[in-house]
Amino acid sequence: MSLTNFKIWHFRGGVHPYDGKELSNQVPAQYAPLLEKYYVVLRQNIGKPPKLIVEKGQHVAKGQKIAEADGFVSAPLHAPTSGTVGDVADIPGANGPNVPAIEIIADGKDEWDTGLEPIKDWRQADITDLRHRIAEAGIVGMGGAAFPCHIKLTPPIEKIIDTLILNGAECEPYLTADHRLMLERTKAVLEGAAIAAKILNVERILLGIEDNKPDAIEALNKLADQYGVTVVPLPVRYPQGGEKQLIYALTGRCVMTGGLPMDVGCVVQNVGSCAAIYDAVAEGHPLIERYTTITGTPVVNPSTWIVRIGTPVREALGFAGGTKSHAAKLIMGGPMMGFAQMTLDVTVTKNTSGILLLSAKETGAYTSDPCIRCGRCVDNCPMHLQPGSISVMVESEHFHEAEHLNVMDCMECGVCAYVCPAKRPLVQHFRRAKSEIIAERQAAKAKAAMKHS
Amino acid sequence: MDFHTLLLVTVGAILVNNVVLSRILGICPFLGVSKKIETALGMSGAVVFVMTLASFVTALFNRFLIATKFKVNGQEIDLSFTRILLFIVVIAALVQIVEIIMKKFTPSLYVALGIYLPLITTNCAVLGAAEMNADEGRSILASTLFGFSTGAGFGLALLLFASLRERLAASRTPKAMEGPAIALVTAGILALAFMGFSGLVK
Amino acid sequence: MLTVLISTIVLAIVGLALGLLIGFAAKKFDVEVDPRVESVQELLPGANCGGCGYAGCADFASAIIHQNADPSNCNSVSSEALKKIGLIAGHEITVRERKVAVVFCSGSYSHTSHHEEYNGIMDCRSASLVGDGDKECHYGCLGYGSCARVCKSGAIEIRDRLAFVHPELCIGCGRCTQVCPRKLIRLVPITAKVHIYCSSLNKPLKKRASCMNPCLACKKCARTDSSAVVIQPNLLQINYSNPPAPDFPERVKCPTGVLATAEQHLKLELLPANCTCGKETKKK
Repeated sequence: MSLTNFKIWHFRGGVHPYDGKELSNQVPAQYAPLLEKYYVVLRQNIGKPPKLIVEKGQHVAKGQKIAEADGFVSAPLHAPTSGTVGDVADIPGANGPNVPAIEIIADGKDEWDTGLEPIKDWRQADITDLRHRIAEAGIVGMGGAAFPCHIKLTPPIEKIIDTLILNGAECEPYLTADHRLMLERTKAVLEGAAIAAKILNVERILLGIEDNKPDAIEALNKLADQYGVTVVPLPVRYPQGGEKQLIYALTGRCVMTGGLPMDVGCVVQNVGSCAAIYDAVAEGHPLIERYTTITGTPVVNPSTWIVRIGTPVREALGFAGGTKSHAAKLIMGGPMMGFAQMTLDVTVTKNTSGILLLSAKETGAYTSDPCIRCGRCVDNCPMHLQPGSISVMVESEHFHEAEHLNVMDCMECGVCAYVCPAKRPLVQHFRRAKSEIIAERQAAKAKAAMKHS
Repeated sequence: MDFHTLLLVTVGAILVNNVVLSRILGICPFLGVSKKIETALGMSGAVVFVMTLASFVTALFNRFLIATKFKVNGQEIDLSFTRILLFIVVIAALVQIVEIIMKKFTPSLYVALGIYLPLITTNCAVLGAAEMNADEGRSILASTLFGFSTGAGFGLALLLFASLRERLAASRTPKAMEGPAIALVTAGILALAFMGFSGLVK
Repeated sequence: MLTVLISTIVLAIVGLALGLLIGFAAKKFDVEVDPRVESVQELLPGANCGGCGYAGCADFASAIIHQNADPSNCNSVSSEALKKIGLIAGHEITVRERKVAVVFCSGSYSHTSHHEEYNGIMDCRSASLVGDGDKECHYGCLGYGSCARVCKSGAIEIRDRLAFVHPELCIGCGRCTQVCPRKLIRLVPITAKVHIYCSSLNKPLKKRASCMNPCLACKKCARTDSSAVVIQPNLLQINYSNPPAPDFPERVKCPTGVLATAEQHLKLELLPANCTCGKETKKK
């Protein structure tokens, strides 16, 4: 498709951090070797965690469902390999508190039995069947948010969706998982997108990709016409891959405060999710593995791996040859939005796009100073917020004022903290404010419900 | 009494000779009720109301009782030395009545103003407005307008200060300067800023 | 002389008229105030700590009279005052014991093993949102002092990254129990002098690996006096409906020293760092 007339909008703010992608973007992705034990975290999606349906000591096949969705906003889990079910125990979670995880002890045979038939001629298939298949395969947003995929593909009847947007921007520095995926599994990405488009009944499929991945753009363009996808190279700027920023860049539409992409007729899917949709529909494989970049200067062979869900980070680092120098910081995800970890016992989940090690020189502990009101955070905030003022409010525990300053719109992209000359931990303040405000709203809701009854 | 003079009275009372920041009257409620904009608004409303009413009533008293020279047994009686006494009594009674009415009709405002409403009773700003009216020999209309403008000036200063203090509460202050200390420094700077209006009315 | 007389008369007349006016207004715009609310408010401590869940003592007093709120929700009111409030409010009041807060953890920084360094915001609630603090035990005190900052009576002391409550200063308002992200602080009857300072539900072996003074659930205390403790999986707790006497720790001789009186607990750092009770801490 010709791009000569395609208009790209430029979102406000953003930064250009060192992207470190050259460490791993030329290394082909490899399948991770089979491990002895996997720890599958139960809660891997936004919404309700799934309910466990297997017992300790039970034998499970690779891809067999081990937990089923509990309600609509939930996604099932599947065994990463064949083997025996072990204990359910608390392990350190990537987001902070301990989380329950189920242990799968591999038997080494790695035999598939998913109970899902491949739907080869999906173009003729019933939309409800396809939706059901995607829900059954446990697919969640693989870019980071882990929102169950089937819900995005079931927009309320009153919302008119006209555009499916594929998020291949991968604006996070260091990460090359989506890059390798688009290059190596081009057909799966595009076909998965076509399936999603069929379910949503949309004509326009746009794939936003930052123009620092010319090889992936070339590969995609070769096949794009076949699936009706328009590949749009976007300028490199963090956070180009933020959902609202991407919608604006490609369509010029703004998602308002508290709104969803479907309010402006768009559905955004990560390219990884698209490939997973293709696997679920055309191959009958549930989501049990994903592209994950294991990178950073201390890593011996920074590279992208196809890692099974439930792999401990300690083992995953081993795939990439371990470390060659002292690593000061371990981050799950990218350096901007990822979570720093306290221990190597965390595991790969459905939204782990990267495992990043940073050396002491690159990170370093620093003390934060009071806000000097220079306004750099305001200039660079892609969500048009006032991070400085909000953080001051949170520091003095004025959460209502923070709410008035729309802290709930913050997507925690970390641009403000990146540009802050006083090195203030702004994102952590916002996370705190959000958790307090959500807790308060829930308490108010419960109180109202009690009054009602 | 032409329009020009009335305008000067108004602008002068609100900006140039602001009752709080320039005449330094009514500091107690200015510091006491300025922690939150909401209560500051209520207080400003009460002050505007009381001041306007008090100025009007005291102007009446001044015109028909105090300033009138009447003769008893051929001796001229001058009651002007009882002015302050009379004004205090009148204003105190007025505030009492306002308080009673407020308690009846706007209990939430009454609760919000708490102990500060009785403070208006002996508030120097209210008495000051009445005294200034009498000193300047203003007409009843001009007096009422002056009372209203002075109240409005008080409200403006109070609201500005309350907004500043809300921001102050959220910012880091050295331990020793917390609370009233930094508030007073802020008030001083605000007063300095208001000095900029001093050339406005000649 | 005449001036004096006349001015006095004028002032008297004005005063009388205004007085009558106020009297008339007071009668006309009279608002009925329940006198009981005021007398209840006088009996409440007036600290406006908010521990009862209402916005200050005045609000609570009106809730006691008008909404049948339970006056014993106030933790700082004396039992005599409570009885008087009951008489005024006219409903039965069960006199509740005074309570104090206890931090159920003995894991000071030097007595526990820890992960990598945390250098974010020094606040427990913020720390629990990222990485969940640096101590290995995920039940233990984070030690960033959120509880000490909300305590109005200054009863909480943070020493070596562990919160201690001074029971003689605690008024039992319960604010600290609300801010602790790990729910480690609970209110217990002031008559209970002995506590088991551990909240970890981990298995004893795991506890040993991460902390030098955990409750290893050896049940030695239960064998000494079975009615004094409540046995839970992996953790024992004092039976607060029947608290043991202050000499209980002496009789039990808890191997990890986690069963202690508040005074003994406050001297926690006096325990030798190479204490044999917990295994040596492992440091990364």
